[in-house]
Amino acid sequence: MCLAIPALITSVEGTTARAEIGGVERTISLALTPEARVGDYVLIHTGFAIGVVDEEEAQETLRLLEELAEFYPDEVEVSQFPNLPISQSPNLPISQSPNLPVSQSTNEVH
Amino acid sequence: MRYIDEFRDPRLARKLVANIQARSTRPVRFMEFCGGHTHAIFRHGLRQMLPPTVELRSGPGCPVCVTANTDLDRAIALAKLPGVILATFGDMLKVPGSHGSLQTARAEGADVRVVYSALDALRIARDHPERAVIFLGVGFETTAPTVAAAILEAEAEGLDNFYVLSLHKLTPPATRAILDAGEVRLSGIIGPGHVTTVIGSRAWEFLPQDYSVPCAVAGFEPLDILRAVAALVEMAEDGRPAVVNAYSRSVRPEGNRVALEIMQRVFEVSEADWRGLGRVPASGLALRPKYVRFDAALAFPVDPGPTREHKGCRCGDVLRGTVEPPECPLFRRVCTPARPVGPCMVSAEGACAAWYRYGGADV
Repeated sequence: MCLAIPALITSVEGTTARAEIGGVERTISLALTPEARVGDYVLIHTGFAIGVVDEEEAQETLRLLEELAEFYPDEVEVSQFPNLPISQSPNLPISQSPNLPVSQSTNEVH
Repeated sequence: MRYIDEFRDPRLARKLVANIQARSTRPVRFMEFCGGHTHAIFRHGLRQMLPPTVELRSGPGCPVCVTANTDLDRAIALAKLPGVILATFGDMLKVPGSHGSLQTARAEGADVRVVYSALDALRIARDHPERAVIFLGVGFETTAPTVAAAILEAEAEGLDNFYVLSLHKLTPPATRAILDAGEVRLSGIIGPGHVTTVIGSRAWEFLPQDYSVPCAVAGFEPLDILRAVAALVEMAEDGRPAVVNAYSRSVRPEGNRVALEIMQRVFEVSEADWRGLGRVPASGLALRPKYVRFDAALAFPVDPGPTREHKGCRCGDVLRGTVEPPECPLFRRVCTPARPVGPCMVSAEGACAAWYRYGGADV
């Protein structure tokens, strides 16, 4: 099962914590993430935190996406693309096609 | 909601799609291993946004779906034993085994209880010391550490009526099995984001190394998935297979070491029977000798009788990625979420359930 939701740790007591998401609080186990602290966001899966969300990486990801966004002007609607041969993609000089930001991710593994 | 809403920004989604459209020149087929991805892709309308050159195909990443009938039959037989309380995750309840489901067993008097967490099953065991509480351990590496943690808790408090039937399975071996079978040509794999939170992005290095197949580990919000698809397109276009971690806010190269240690302390790797893939070596988890007293299969030997597969059900082919749900003759005509024939239609992560719910009138 791949379903896990990010929740905010509001209090910690030993290996359990109270975590809040969308205004709902629940008790979860920190057995798998003993490093989690109040104020951290953790991914909750079947009552356990399985990982701590890295806030800096989250911001970095959004920043890279914003950088990518600058290559594609707002007024170009995605729906126009299927009608165009790729080589005639408007407003995008192919020779300047950006290396996708994800390749600059600090966690990339080659 | 934090870390969800930002990754659903439609403006950034359009930019990512524009990038994919611009970069994709040749037909590619990517497999999203995880059923959760199949559902997210449908739910957010991502299929329609991708250019015709990019095809997405579902994989076997639905632990309920890949549970073999023999194992489910065993769970049902255990549930029917007098004095047993069988605790299970909700999706397993309605999956048809050879002769009925856990739900029908419950209707016939078996004490079957749906739980959200292995910890709930522990609680039931504490509340009912006179009963044997068997937890049905279904799930991949996201779930297995939680069950291991529950077993350690049971051990620490000397709980002697708590058991686990371990049907846990491992995702990289299943991915290998699909590639080794060579039945479906894949240009890339969208890696399961939460499994990989546990096992680490390094666990997928075998894909570019052994198969020259790129892998992009993805989260479950639209921007996460599109970002992974964009990375795969780029790697496929350039012929540069690698592992890209496109879910870096949750996934680290080494994964969650604590979770892995706990999982490996309690479980060892074993062979496992996968619906669709058959017996796959070193693809399952079994309780280590030290924890064998928690093993439900050993504590309660049962003979579930001969296994019966449902005729016409193509769940196995769907799980191997060789067939899409609408190609199954039973899809929608006979097999629906209300009256499912196979687990792919039952599970919240099943491909058939996703196609049924979101596939639209054309399907």
